Amino acid sequence: MTNDIQRHATLLKAAARAAKNITTILDPYELFQRTVDIICDEFGFYYAGVFLLDDKKQYAVLRAGRGEAGKAMITEGHKLVIGGNSMIGASIANRQGRIALDVGHEAVFFENPHLPKTRSEMALPLIVGDDVIGALTVQSTEEAAFHDEDIAALQTMADQLAIAIQNSNLHRQAERRSRLLKAANRVGKEVTSILDLEKLLPQTVNIICESYGLYYAGVFLLDEKGEYAILRAGYGKAGKAMVAEGHKLKVGTDSMIGACIAMGEARIALDVGEERVHFKNPHLPHTRSEMALPLVYGGKAVGAVTIQSSEERAFSEDDITTLLTMAEHLAVAINNARLIDELKEAHNEILRNKVFEALTTASTEAIHWIGNKTLPISLTVARLREEIADGKVDVESLKEDLDMISESAAQIIQVKEQLIGAVREMKPRPVLFADVLRTAASERNISENALKVDIAPAAAYVIADSTQLTRALGNILQNAAEAGAKSVKVSVHPTEERGLLEIEIEDDGAGMDEETMRKAWSPFYTTRGVSHHGLGLPAAMHVVSQSQGRIALVSEQGKGTTVAMYLPRGVVNNSQVQVGGVKNLLLIDDNDDWSNLFAELLKDSKIKLTKSVDLKNIPATDLILVDENIASVSLTDVLSALSTAGLAAKTVILTSAINPERVTKFLRNGVKDVTVKPYSASEVSELLK
Amino acid sequence: MTTVLLVDDEKLIQRSLEKTLLRAGFDVLTASDCKSGSEVFSKNAGEVNIAVLDLNMPGFDGMPKTGAGFDLLDDLKKKKADLPVVILTAYDEVSRAKDAASHGASAFFVKGREQGLVELIQKILNEK
Repeated sequence: MTNDIQRHATLLKAAARAAKNITTILDPYELFQRTVDIICDEFGFYYAGVFLLDDKKQYAVLRAGRGEAGKAMITEGHKLVIGGNSMIGASIANRQGRIALDVGHEAVFFENPHLPKTRSEMALPLIVGDDVIGALTVQSTEEAAFHDEDIAALQTMADQLAIAIQNSNLHRQAERRSRLLKAANRVGKEVTSILDLEKLLPQTVNIICESYGLYYAGVFLLDEKGEYAILRAGYGKAGKAMVAEGHKLKVGTDSMIGACIAMGEARIALDVGEERVHFKNPHLPHTRSEMALPLVYGGKAVGAVTIQSSEERAFSEDDITTLLTMAEHLAVAINNARLIDELKEAHNEILRNKVFEALTTASTEAIHWIGNKTLPISLTVARLREEIADGKVDVESLKEDLDMISESAAQIIQVKEQLIGAVREMKPRPVLFADVLRTAASERNISENALKVDIAPAAAYVIADSTQLTRALGNILQNAAEAGAKSVKVSVHPTEERGLLEIEIEDDGAGMDEETMRKAWSPFYTTRGVSHHGLGLPAAMHVVSQSQGRIALVSEQGKGTTVAMYLPRGVVNNSQVQVGGVKNLLLIDDNDDWSNLFAELLKDSKIKLTKSVDLKNIPATDLILVDENIASVSLTDVLSALSTAGLAAKTVILTSAINPERVTKFLRNGVKDVTVKPYSASEVSELLK
Repeated sequence: MTTVLLVDDEKLIQRSLEKTLLRAGFDVLTASDCKSGSEVFSKNAGEVNIAVLDLNMPGFDGMPKTGAGFDLLDDLKKKKADLPVVILTAYDEVSRAKDAASHGASAFFVKGREQGLVELIQKILNEK
């Protein structure tokens, strides 16, 4: 009797220790496995196993078992019918602990080949509140190891285990919920920032799979008729293959996606029992659970998301809420992306119409222009032929006719120059704006007094091809002059847009009405009649856009026109000039912005620079530089004086707008070279080399 | 003698047409815009048998105007309702030709398309 009391006391202590250990474990897989080990270790039992009820409460399924025997039985899917002949089945059905001892008629129970040494077994129901959730089996190699009074002691431990299982389940659900919410939040945040539908959908499936740790995700969008859900993006290789195959599902009850769209609600399929039939997609052989979530925006289904897991029962009804939140975010993102697409399409449509209008205007103007320029030629030629045929050629009249033909041809050639200019090679570099403007004004015979120039020190250089910029500025200045402008204000200053300068050219000429302003960019459009080709502004726009800039026009009839050009700001690093072999240098130029810059660049060098426009006293120097654009003296006189003094071979003509015809002309006059003006120390070094 | 009033702002076209018409035996009065065209006509209303007007040229205010030739046409018709008028244009647009007809023009002559202006003028005058 004393032995029995001692044995019972030992059992109670072991039960208390086991219960204490078990209740600290929250991870369900760890809980089951460690429970069977703790029980066997504390009590010195041969085997312990934990069974849990299946969803339909028909079977008790072994979830953990001690040792190799336990592993083998789990692998086999060991399960016992509730209420059957088994100890476990009976203890669950009766909600009571049972004992079987290898004595007498009960020996029949011990025939499990994995547990050959079992001689006593106790089965204890796992009960939480009113619910039986499973059962615990403990087995001993001793015959008659358990007594009836032991049941109560071990049942206490089993009750603790049942609570621990319950806690662990709750913990697992809470943790899972939190993870799903975090993932939903991440998906929501990330997808709403992607506005390109073609990027949004593939990135969404990646984000979903990575955030939720899922096997597969796919996004279907409804076709225009709303008949089919078309797979627009799928995770991984399987997704790519299905998208390439044009995978689509009919809206309706044949598929989870089709049903979820038709019914506007989430669907879940779990790989248990007869539901296996859902998982037969050859691209996704490992899917064991699937959830389909409708994408609804403004009460209308736009598509659906499928998410799939390789785990059985990966989704529960509880997950639907968090995943629907994610689907809502996605539907908003899809709608946003579609709106952006529609806006882009509308913009393109407007652009196409504008381009068409511009082309139409250009063609109409070109037809007008060509008609007007060629008619005098054809008329005159026809008349001459008749006169020759009649033998009545009048020399004075003939001379006049030839002049008319020549003038018409000259105007046509001028257009060729504007068109050729635009396709000439561009060499963008930092150029001194003041110098280019001066050249442009001079080339178009615009008096410097008519120009009011204000250039901010930080805006002295623009990035452009100096020849092309000279042409663009010249066209704008000429337009101003022809509009009757008395004064033209040119201001250059930095803009708030980083690295961009604004060049404003404001005239007080006649201005334009709205229609003229709209057509102003069309080639061949001109309001100035006869001697104009209407290519000035289009050519300027071409030059500016080639320089990565933009150009705008504001005009009011009777008040004047302002052209605003936005060009990249130039930055020059004025390091020491490398002088080469040059010691004495003569610069024939006015005291203008460029000549001052040039003198500044040579200030710390060993070169002795003489700046002069005095052609009567030309000093002896190693090199003579001549600015092509000098206001105070004519270039012809300069070249003639240098030629007379035998200095042409030492002379280099510098220009901000180089032109092949003029280069040829100067070189034929015997000068050493004609080149573009240097605007930085490195360009001066290159010139002197 | 038949007198033609020729109004065109394109100097070369004006002179070239003038020479062609002179050579064909017409007398030619010229002007370069609506205002001067109207003035030249008023001074010589009795002599002018036909007017050849450019469609796009400076209007009565001196500013370039699309369709200014129609304004001058209306002005001339007010002064002499049965004056035949030929509209000269570089645009071969049906709608413009219809506009010309609705303004009472006798013909619509597209620059650069044919050289038969002299024959056209003679035909119009013969039909009158």
